Amino acid sequence: MTRRVWVSLSLAALLVVAMAVAGCGASAPTNSTTTSATSTLVTTTAAGTKPVPSVTWALYRDVNTLDPDFAFDDPENTAVTLMCESLLRQAPDGSVGPGLATLAIPTPTTYVFTLRPGVKFWDGNPVTPADVVFSITRQMDPKVGGFYQAMFTRVQLVQATGANQVTITLKQPDYWLEGELSSIPGIVLERSFVEKEGKNYGAPGGSIMGTGAFMLKSWNTANGVVAIPNPHYWDASVKTPLVQQIVLRGFAGTASLSSGLLTGSIQGSYPTDLATLLQLQQSGAVKVYQGRCGSTDALVICSFKGALGDVRVRQALSLALDRQAVIDSVYHGAAQLPRWLANPGTFGYGQSVFSAAYDSSPAMKQDVAKAKQLIQQAGAAGTTITIGMSSGMPRSVGDAAAYQAAGEAIGLNVKFRAVSPANFINFFIDPKFREGVDAFPTTNYGDYADPAALLKTVVLPDGSQNFSGFSDPKTTSLLDQARSTADPDQRASLVAKAEEAVAQQLPWIPTVQPNIVLVLGKGLTGAVPTFSYMFAPWANQLGGR
Amino acid sequence: MVPWRFLLRRLVMLCGSVVVASFLVFAAVDVAPGTPLAVLSGGRSISPASLRILEARYHLNEPFFTQYWYWVNNALHGDLGISITLRENVSTLIAQRIWTTAGLVLYASILVVVIGVAIGLIAGLRRGALDTGMVVVTAGAAALPSFVAAIVLIFVFAVRLRWFPALGNGVGLLSNVWHFTLPAIALAVSSMAIVSRVTRAAVREEMGREHVQTAVSRGIPTGQLIRRHVLRNAAIPITTVSGITVASLIAVAAVVEVAFGLNGLGALMVQSAESKDLAVVQGIALLLVLAFVIVNTLVDLLYAMLDPRVSVGAKA
Repeated sequence: MTRRVWVSLSLAALLVVAMAVAGCGASAPTNSTTTSATSTLVTTTAAGTKPVPSVTWALYRDVNTLDPDFAFDDPENTAVTLMCESLLRQAPDGSVGPGLATLAIPTPTTYVFTLRPGVKFWDGNPVTPADVVFSITRQMDPKVGGFYQAMFTRVQLVQATGANQVTITLKQPDYWLEGELSSIPGIVLERSFVEKEGKNYGAPGGSIMGTGAFMLKSWNTANGVVAIPNPHYWDASVKTPLVQQIVLRGFAGTASLSSGLLTGSIQGSYPTDLATLLQLQQSGAVKVYQGRCGSTDALVICSFKGALGDVRVRQALSLALDRQAVIDSVYHGAAQLPRWLANPGTFGYGQSVFSAAYDSSPAMKQDVAKAKQLIQQAGAAGTTITIGMSSGMPRSVGDAAAYQAAGEAIGLNVKFRAVSPANFINFFIDPKFREGVDAFPTTNYGDYADPAALLKTVVLPDGSQNFSGFSDPKTTSLLDQARSTADPDQRASLVAKAEEAVAQQLPWIPTVQPNIVLVLGKGLTGAVPTFSYMFAPWANQLGGR
Repeated sequence: MVPWRFLLRRLVMLCGSVVVASFLVFAAVDVAPGTPLAVLSGGRSISPASLRILEARYHLNEPFFTQYWYWVNNALHGDLGISITLRENVSTLIAQRIWTTAGLVLYASILVVVIGVAIGLIAGLRRGALDTGMVVVTAGAAALPSFVAAIVLIFVFAVRLRWFPALGNGVGLLSNVWHFTLPAIALAVSSMAIVSRVTRAAVREEMGREHVQTAVSRGIPTGQLIRRHVLRNAAIPITTVSGITVASLIAVAAVVEVAFGLNGLGALMVQSAESKDLAVVQGIALLLVLAFVIVNTLVDLLYAMLDPRVSVGAKA
């Protein structure tokens, strides 16, 4: 009898210990201070110096396509930018320079691209003007159905105008095109290869042909995308990559990702779910970098029919929001208080103009008293707003809860319309689905480092994400002028004015400005720690330290 | 003698199960919320023109029965269809991953049968502290779901002790076994406990029987006694419960594959169900139904071998 008791007790003790141990792992210590984000933002990591046989790089899900026309989300962008290159190139700080070609703009409606000497694909074939024309035309072709067609609306004609020259003729001046062509839409494909592969181009059953320092070795949906150094890389000034093989694979769940990183099964990642960030930061097994990001966490006001149609109510909701709580609990410190809708990480040109204007704009801090006043003036106390969210998406839960607290603090009733993660997309694409919903949270970004890249989709009357019918003639005209303005500083100053206006009008309410988080195994260094990994090569300097 | 009639009946049942399952899975995925296009765009908004082109390309705008008919017609011609999100044949996707799932289930089954029966046998034959301890431990283990076991195993043996890897399949047989050990334990642990408890009970019961007692009194060597008189008779309940639990492993494997980042069929099915990639869900679900029915048929055949009184296919 005593033995039986002893056995039961020791088993119980064992279970308690196991649970306590597991519990420690799951919840990272909370006493650590959240480091000030701005002071630690980086734009580079030291280049690698030693060869590394193989790196497993984690994505939040597996790659679905390697065709740039359909690369629109983190996993596809990461894979495509690792291996393929655009006409122009976005640097880690967001500035745009020559890529496969240099750009001259002799008249406001003429873009002349001159291919750089020696540019060639992995198979050794030179990049020709015909390939460039083919690639851009393919992006524009409605029959192909690519996701970037809308970026080329001002393009009239794309034609080869010399042995190494391509000219784009525009209907109207469009200085935004430069940014787009430094990003995914500017990637150059080999015409003969794409035509040979047909429907299989970029699918697991087919292959791709690019120009980058890494080339595709294999892609099997079970084992991920495997890239190896391209021994014949055209740019002699770039050293051959030190990493002999990069395997890109999706790992579902933050728990898998962090245990993989902590045990060395995964050596690098740009994680999107930051639930285990503190645990990673405190581990000796990995190094965590935070860099400039281009995305904005915001509340999309999708309907002006309800209380949020009144700008004073939007301002009040924004003033009542405890953004610091969102930064602490949702981002674990990896975000900043916003001043504009644009993340300052998007200042890719006119940087001094943007920075000066940004710094002189007020940070969006909590002021509940003022918010209550505005609600009173608007006579909105007691009205109900409905926020769309998904309990399966941690960030949407955190944001929605913060807005609920804010709304209730100032006398609004806040209801949730909860949907499944798979259905969340419908808030963006289906007007019927949005019916009865006033707002929903999003993390959103443009295709290149320009505050206007996101702004234009939100505030222009025909913007792809302007769901509320927001229209402000002043903002529209500022953005139109910016699009046609050649001088970067002047363009920046116009866009800055638009941002300042939008920060008052709040067609979307900026929640926080996230940082990019880069996690590298402790033996590694050299990956690009900024948002430009979404648009340009990020692993050329990756290697052992 | 080959039990033809039994096999024929099982074949008819199998076809029936497959037809019913294929319709149910198809209908369930159709009713479930979401659109495969969400995955293609990563949740950002796509232009209406792009949406229409994609919908037409994948027949997404056609009525339910038309879509089901496309699938049945193709499946009858041996074509399981194409994954929407990956633009790859479903049969290729399955072929790339089937060995991961098969290996995992096989490894876990071996653990369930060998270790489960061994523990039950020891506990059944020896009364005392060891027996008591096993009863307590297996009671806890039987109630331990695989996903909890996975979390604890990863934390203790991968993150803290570093004995086993936390993720991935490994390359080469030895490395595979090393990588699959924690997942197989996580998958097997509750079934192992159930099998050992049933074994213990069955062994106890047989040990108390008159013919066993008689054999003991006649001085038959212990090894022979256990093999011929105890195990032989205890084998029926043990086989039944092993068969059921091993078949259930096939279904639970998905959870373990996701937890350990293994590229198996279950993980692909979960991912495809989330993105409403119907052809993939359908293809894998049917394969699992097939495996389930085949395992059960094998168990029935084993009965007849173990107990001559049972004739195959007799209505029990």
